[in-house]
Amino acid sequence: MSFTTLPFLILVGASVVLYYVVPKQCQWVLLLAASMVFYCVGGGKTVLYVFYTAATVYTATLALGHWNTLKRNAPKEDKKAITAKYKPHRRAVVAAACLANFVLLYVLKYWNFTADLLQPAVDVLIPGAQIPLSELVLPLGVSFFMFQSVGYVIDVYRDKYQPEKNFLKLLLFVSFFPQMVQGPISRFDALAPQLLAKRSVNYTDLKYGIQLVMWGYFKKLVIADRTAVLVNTVMDDPWSHSGSVLAFAIFFYCIQLYGDFSGGIDITRGVARMFGIDLAENFRQPIFSTSLTDFWRRWHITLGAWMRDYLFYPLSLSKPFGRLGKFTRKHIKGKLGKIIPTSLATFIIYFVIGIWHGANWRYVAFGFWNGAIITMSLLLAPKYVQWKEKLHINEDSRWWHLFQMVRTNILVFFGRYITRAPRFLTAVWMVKETFLHPHWPDLWNGTLMTLGLTGGDFLVIALGVLVLLCAEWYEEKHGSVRAMLETKSPLVQCVAILVPLVVLFCFGVLRADYISSDFIYKQF
Amino acid sequence: MMEELLAILTEAVPGVDFELETALVDDEILESLDIVTIVSEIKDAFDVEITVDDLIPQNFNSVEAMLALIEARQN
Repeated sequence: MSFTTLPFLILVGASVVLYYVVPKQCQWVLLLAASMVFYCVGGGKTVLYVFYTAATVYTATLALGHWNTLKRNAPKEDKKAITAKYKPHRRAVVAAACLANFVLLYVLKYWNFTADLLQPAVDVLIPGAQIPLSELVLPLGVSFFMFQSVGYVIDVYRDKYQPEKNFLKLLLFVSFFPQMVQGPISRFDALAPQLLAKRSVNYTDLKYGIQLVMWGYFKKLVIADRTAVLVNTVMDDPWSHSGSVLAFAIFFYCIQLYGDFSGGIDITRGVARMFGIDLAENFRQPIFSTSLTDFWRRWHITLGAWMRDYLFYPLSLSKPFGRLGKFTRKHIKGKLGKIIPTSLATFIIYFVIGIWHGANWRYVAFGFWNGAIITMSLLLAPKYVQWKEKLHINEDSRWWHLFQMVRTNILVFFGRYITRAPRFLTAVWMVKETFLHPHWPDLWNGTLMTLGLTGGDFLVIALGVLVLLCAEWYEEKHGSVRAMLETKSPLVQCVAILVPLVVLFCFGVLRADYISSDFIYKQF
Repeated sequence: MMEELLAILTEAVPGVDFELETALVDDEILESLDIVTIVSEIKDAFDVEITVDDLIPQNFNSVEAMLALIEARQN
């Protein structure tokens, strides 16, 4: 069920009304029922995967919770012995829960890619043999709910909190419907208490929620879906276009992706807010990033935080990395010797983030692109300091800051060639065309008007992006736009709701040949 | 011990007044890369075992918190 369909709006509207009508102790049950309806209507068999994940996570965390309690309640002198006694059991259970989910995710998402890779070797070794391909359809939001659930298991393993003993309440945490299309990836201690809270109608929550939902639809329907028309036209047949048109299409893809993903997250957070639930932020003005590392701290924040807490830290502090650190410090003098293990862990994390997006050489290359740049910047950091001193660069100056932002956005821009091109080699060819055969007049000789958009569409996109940039700038400098609106008169607040609503209807929903495309991150 | 820890911190993340700051992680002065670098240095310098479970903001928000973590692990 897509966020841009009538059934979704009906489900949200009916759920919000019923949520505040039913007895308070049944409110979480209503959220669970709405989530199940969302899956059954829109996702078909997805509900089975949700149950599978919830069941594995529930069983594992109950066992872990039992051992944690034994340790906690033991006399001080016995704690060490009990910890040692159950350590292998706890490790086995947490590993089993992670494997149960990640192996399934691997089969669903990566098996066919692996089979394609291995088939040539099988052809040589066993002529005629065929590696069976998976025919399972990738369930809606599978990466999101599995990552969220595995994070919960690891947190219980680390004894951060007690496990949920009610299976249905845990099922709600795994399946809360607004965040199932594209996240955010929430933490149990932040989300579960909010899902189970008893609430009365709150005017501010409803108003904030509706404003956020409309802002999200504005980004998605007015900006992203419009830019998608040109992007799809060019990328369906990139070989027929000049380098400048290809670059323009990738530029539009950057706008589309941000409008689509951050718009979807705004809709998610807005819907949750109508139930009084405050979901984690997933974006913080990524356009103002001053480095690629900074970009990944501002873009898809919850995925980055998940990778940091559950992969980067354990990897960096693992024994093999500890041994590597000792080796590099001994044999490579200076800062370089100290940062090699961290740099390697960083490269692995960004590589994993790349392939998290999907089973395709494009995403492998995307991971390599980000990992290589960030790792190089870490390794070269001492040199950068020397160069900056030699060039007398003032790091606090506005111009330096602007240079860093432009440089980062250019790196992100070229990274998007990789993720949007039909194939990796096509992306390489497209970059080559951009530099070698740009044919710049195509940008003003009317070529762009033949790519599916009218002059009016370009104007709407330009104005939409301008509004978006103003809002982003305000939030970067001063904080929440909605909080600022809250200080204004009721009349201004009404206008702030009505104007976007009219814009949405005129330029989003009622567009003559309007066809809403699906959310890009839904496929991940 | 305090001087040694301050020397480690200043070398890992130059330009921060570690004696004054009390929200190093919460205010995003230290990021994950810095924390891992600092932990590696602390492990070597003080011969203590710091695990993933110790990597919570409260343990790295100030130099005093880090010192308390080191002392707890030494004991």
